[in-house]
This record gives sequence, C-alpha cells and structure tokens, in this order.
Amino acid sequence: MSGLFGTLSIALTGLAVSQQQLATSSNNVANASTPGYSRETAVTEAGAPIVIGNLVTGTGVVLDKIESLRDPILEIQLTQTTQQQSGLNAELEQLQQLQTNFSSDSSGIGADISNFFNSLQQLSPDPSNLALRQSVLTAAANLAQDFNTAASDLTTQQANLNLTVQQSVSQINSLTAQLAGVNQQIATLENIHVDASTLVDQQTNLIRQLSGLIDVQVIPTEKGGIEVTTSNGTALVSGIQSFALSTQTKQGGNLDVFANAADITSTISGGSLAGTLEVRDQQIPNILSQLDQLAAGFSNAINTANAQGLDLNDVKGTNIFSTPPAGVTGAAANMRAIMTDPTLLAASSDGAAGSNGNLTNLLGVATQKVANGQTPIGAYSNLVFQVGSAASNTSAEVDAANQILQQLQDQRNSVSGVSLDEEAANIIQYQTAYQAAARVVSTIDAMLADAVNLGIDTAVQ
Amino acid sequence: MRVNPYPMPDLLAALNHTELEAQQAGLQISTGRSVNVPSDDPTAAAQLVENNDQASVNRGYLADLTAINGQLSAASSTLNSVQSALQQAISLGVEAGNGTLSDSDRASIVSELQGIQSQILSLANTSYQGNYLFSGTATSTAPYAVSGTDPSGVSYAGNDGVNQVSVGAGYQVAVNQPGSQLFSASGNSVFLALNELIVAVQSNTGVETALPALDSAANYLSVQAVFYGNALSQVQSQTTYQNAAKLQIEQQQNSLGAVDMATAANTLSQAQTDTQAALEAISKFSGNSLFDYLR
Repeated sequence: MSGLFGTLSIALTGLAVSQQQLATSSNNVANASTPGYSRETAVTEAGAPIVIGNLVTGTGVVLDKIESLRDPILEIQLTQTTQQQSGLNAELEQLQQLQTNFSSDSSGIGADISNFFNSLQQLSPDPSNLALRQSVLTAAANLAQDFNTAASDLTTQQANLNLTVQQSVSQINSLTAQLAGVNQQIATLENIHVDASTLVDQQTNLIRQLSGLIDVQVIPTEKGGIEVTTSNGTALVSGIQSFALSTQTKQGGNLDVFANAADITSTISGGSLAGTLEVRDQQIPNILSQLDQLAAGFSNAINTANAQGLDLNDVKGTNIFSTPPAGVTGAAANMRAIMTDPTLLAASSDGAAGSNGNLTNLLGVATQKVANGQTPIGAYSNLVFQVGSAASNTSAEVDAANQILQQLQDQRNSVSGVSLDEEAANIIQYQTAYQAAARVVSTIDAMLADAVNLGIDTAVQ
Repeated sequence: MRVNPYPMPDLLAALNHTELEAQQAGLQISTGRSVNVPSDDPTAAAQLVENNDQASVNRGYLADLTAINGQLSAASSTLNSVQSALQQAISLGVEAGNGTLSDSDRASIVSELQGIQSQILSLANTSYQGNYLFSGTATSTAPYAVSGTDPSGVSYAGNDGVNQVSVGAGYQVAVNQPGSQLFSASGNSVFLALNELIVAVQSNTGVETALPALDSAANYLSVQAVFYGNALSQVQSQTTYQNAAKLQIEQQQNSLGAVDMATAANTLSQAQTDTQAALEAISKFSGNSLFDYLR
C-alpha cells in the first residue's frame, strides 16, 4: 500500500512542478516586451532519494529555484556605454544649436565685417559724400548688432542649460530614491533566501536610467546589496539609503551641483549631465571669450585708426565704437556703434573735406592682427572652424557610441531576451510532462481500486 | 550561441540611417550647397568665410575703379577742352602779332581772348558729382576766383592734396592733379600767360614775348595732363585684372561650398532605394513564432 501511495506522491510532484514550469514560461511570454526583463527558467532537480537497506528510491522532482538569466559583465558594460553615449549625445545637441549662430555666409559677423570694410572702400573715391559716410556708420551699427546677438544667444543657451541641470538633478534624486526602495525589497527577500529576480531587473533598469544622467559605479555588497557612487566617489545610494544631490546658484548665475556641502560639478564625467555641463562651462565660455576678444580688438583698432585722421569739420577723429571693458569680458554683448553723425568720420589726413588719406588707416585694420594674433576675418574664420569641428567630431563619437551600445544590447538580448519560439517549445514540453504525470495518477487510481476491491467482484466506476 | 530574439531595433536603426542620408542629400540639392552648417565640413566652412571676404574686397575694388574712371574721364575731357581753347588763344596771339591790325581789329581780338580766359576759368572750376576736380583735396571749394589784384587775374583757393585710391592688394593709384600744378604752376601758369597776352594785345606792346610764354605754359599743361591718360589706362588694365580675379574667387567658392548636383542626385536616389529596401525587409519580418503553429 505505501508503495502505491508513494508512487502517487511521486506523480504528484511531477504535476506540481509542470504547473510551476508552465507558470514561469507564461511569465516570460507575458513579459516578452518588458524593457530590461531577464527571462526566467525554472530549475528542477531530482528529489532526495530514500535509502532502505540496499534500495535507493527516488522521491520525484523538486523545483530548486526560478532563476533569471543575465550576464553581469554585459550589464556593467551597458551601464558604462550608456553614460558615455548620453554624455556625448547631450553635448552634440547643444553644439548643433550653438553652431547655428555661425552658419550663414551672407549675414552674421563675418559678412558684416566684410561689409564694413567694403563701405569704407566705396567712400574712398568720394570721401566727403554724406550718403556714403552714413553707409559706413550703418555698417558699423549692423556689425555691433551681430556681436550683441551672438553673445546674447550664447548666454541664453547657457541659461537654458541651467534649467536642464536643475531637471537632471531632480530626475537623479528621484531615481536614487527609487533604487533605495528596490534595494530594501531585495534585502528583505534575500533574508529569506528567495531569488529576487524581477526586482533585480528593476534595479538594473533604474541603474541604467541613472547612468543616462550621471556617471555611476556600482559596487556589490553582501546579500545582494549595492552601493552606487559617481566615478569620482560621491555616494548616491548606499544599500537601502539614498543621498540626494542639490543645486546652488554660483556668482555669474550658473547652477552648480552639490552633494551635501561639496561642489561636485567639475567631477561629473558621464551621462547627459556631463554633456550639458561641458557645453555650459567649457564650450560656450570659450566661444564667448573669443567673440569678446574679437569685438574688443576690432573696436579698439578702428577707434585708434579714426583718431589718426580729421573729420569733415577738421577736428581730430573720435570713437566710432564704444570703448570695450578693460577685462574684455562682455565686449561682444556691449559693443555699440556710438558715432551717429556722418561728418565725424575722420577720412581726411590734411583737414580738407575731400581728402581720403586717413581711410588707408581705417582700411588697414582689415589686415591688422586684432585678436589672438589674427586679422578680423581670420579670427572669425577660425571661430567657425572650431565650432564646426567640435560638432562634427562629437557627431562621429555619438555614432560610434550608438553602434557599440546597439551591439551590447543585442548581446544582452541574446542572453536574457525572451524567445517566443523557445517558450512555445517549452510549453509543449511541460504540457506533455503534465499529461504523462496525470496518466500515471489515473493508472495508480485504477490500481488502488483493484487493491481495495481485492476478492470482490465489482466494476470500477 | 543563442540568437538575439529582438532583431527589430537593429532594423530600425538601419532604416533611420538611410532616411537620414536621404534627408541630407535632399537638403543639399534644395540649397545647392554642400556646406549648410559648419559641421558639414569645418575646413571648407572656414575657407568659405575667407573666400566671401575676398569676394567683398574684389567688389570694392571694382566699384572704386568705376568711380575713379568717371572722375578721371571727366577731368581728362575738361583738360582737352582747355588745351583746345589755349590753341585758339595762341592763334589769336599770332594774328595780333601781325603789325598791320587796326585798333578795332585788335579790340575784337582782345574781346575773344577775354572770352577764352572766362572759358578756361570756368573749365578749371569744373565739378563732377558735386566735387571740384582741380582743387586738390579741398573738393568743396572752387579752385579759382577772379582777382583784381593778382597779375594772373585769378587766385587759387584749393590746396596741393592728391588722393590715392586702393585698386588692388598693395596697389594704389593717384586720382587727381591739383589746379596749382596744372593751371597756375609757378613759372608755368596758363592764367598768368593768358592775362599777360591780353594786356600785351591791348597795349600793342610785348606780344612777341607774351606769345611764346603762353605757348610754353600750354605745353607745360599738356605734359601735366598726361597724368590723366596714364591713370585711365592703369584703371583699365586693373579693371581687367580684378574681373579675372572675380572669376577665380567664384570658382573657388563653387569648389568649396557648392554641391555637385549630379553626385547629390545620385546619393539621394541611392538613399531612397536603400530606404525602400529597409522598409520592405522590416515589413517582411512577420513576427511569427511557434505559437502561431500550435493548434
């Protein structure tokens, strides 16, 4: 009797385990499109055998665990590549916006520098002509306006980036808080020795999102816990506790990122935050500085040249452009064409109204080294090159990073992705196993009926 | 190795790439430019800045050459008229030197000579587009005024200034001669010589010295006037040169920034074909799995 009941319980383990395997497959199929989901397998093993004398009898099948299939090395690589790609992408977007200020040949600073000198050229054969003189002043005003606009667009872009920094920090704090929460749940499950597989998927997903914003390093601790810091060591999450970042406005108006009292802005090296900060704190100030130097150098050179001549009233020439600030900073934003009276243009070298002798000095500024050892057009052309190659180089880097990211993603999918074909095949298998186990139960049921009715002539219902 | 069960992201990435190529080719064709933003070709973009400036400078040279051509031509034809008038005065002087003239004949010669004197004064005070041609750089002041005290009969109110205009790199041309060098140069003044001839004919003495003096002054003027012929020919050859330079600058601009339409059209067509192929490949990806074949 115990033999038959023993066999029954063995068959029952088969039924139970098949059901659980089916549940696992069903879970995989349901989550086939869930981002970051790692497919699960139900790992079975034979039940511990019973030894009676020389007989070793099996006890059926036991579900050992439900395991998530993932490759931790790939996950780390994905995290690192994500932060690189995000940083470059954020930088590229901003650089492409920046370069629109320098994209036109027919308008903008370069064209208007040429127009200014062209107006002086046209004045040369008829230097007392008031209409031609006015053209020079108009060209000067257009040029100053261009410098103002370029500087203003760049500082506006910077200000907008402050907003982006604010938003990024908020998102980071939200993610680290969520991560701490998930860590708490994982810790609870680890304590009772349960595989926290889907929670680990959630954790991985949160880390992935975080790496899109800021550079992260993940250090596993005991019992499935993790510590998340920036690559510089600033703590973001430690086990079940998260540490929020904050922002503070520095003098100059830029928003800096703080971890408690420490300013960590310059240590951020990955994620979109790094790209944003790179443009806000390095690229834009660099371009602004060059614009300022050009504006200041040009204004000073023209003013000096004008002062070497005499105007229509036989008076020494005064300033055509406003005097740039001593430290050059802000020269582009504040450049103005202050001369409005065309008679004040000092074209004359001998005091007579029809003399064009001083125009040679004014025109000579075109070939003078006014900024960074370069002529006005030379300095501007160099600026265009810098802006263009920054965007072009970053674009190539983004393309490369995207390709690597795609390849890593493909590799991860081949390890952890749900294959519907595979799940379908498994389901057939589990169904067959269930049917076989059920048939065993039916057989044992019939045999038990025989045993109970030994010696009695009855029919089985 | 287990196959990646999600091929769609790769297919979509490829589709995105071909669509981007098609867009860029389309943009180039519609703008005619291969460099629309500096990152398209940073080196070419920088060179285009320089090229645009060169084109602007060249336009300035050509505009100036046209302007001074006008000024120089006006001055040159005025001086031709002056020289004709002076020749006329000399003929009259020869006539007056013939001792057989009556008083009334001499009087009529004086009257003609005075007419010529007025004419030359007026010609010397010619202005072109609002500027006096022979005042040096004092172009808003008439060079000559009638003077009752000066033996030449006129006084010079201009200066000695000469304007230079740049018509090429490091190449300047002088564009005027002051009246003080043309008409009233010390020792060679046509005004003085003419006035003295008039006085001589009126008083019927000294014509034999006044006439050669006038002849000499007229010669001097002709020699000085050659300046204008020379300047005009310089302007002409420099205009030819700058027009050739203009073509070169335009060619360079095209090679830097203009798109080769044939190549771009090819690229666009290729990219469109590639996009079509990618779309068809994706659409043929049925997303079938084993589940479709169970029951």
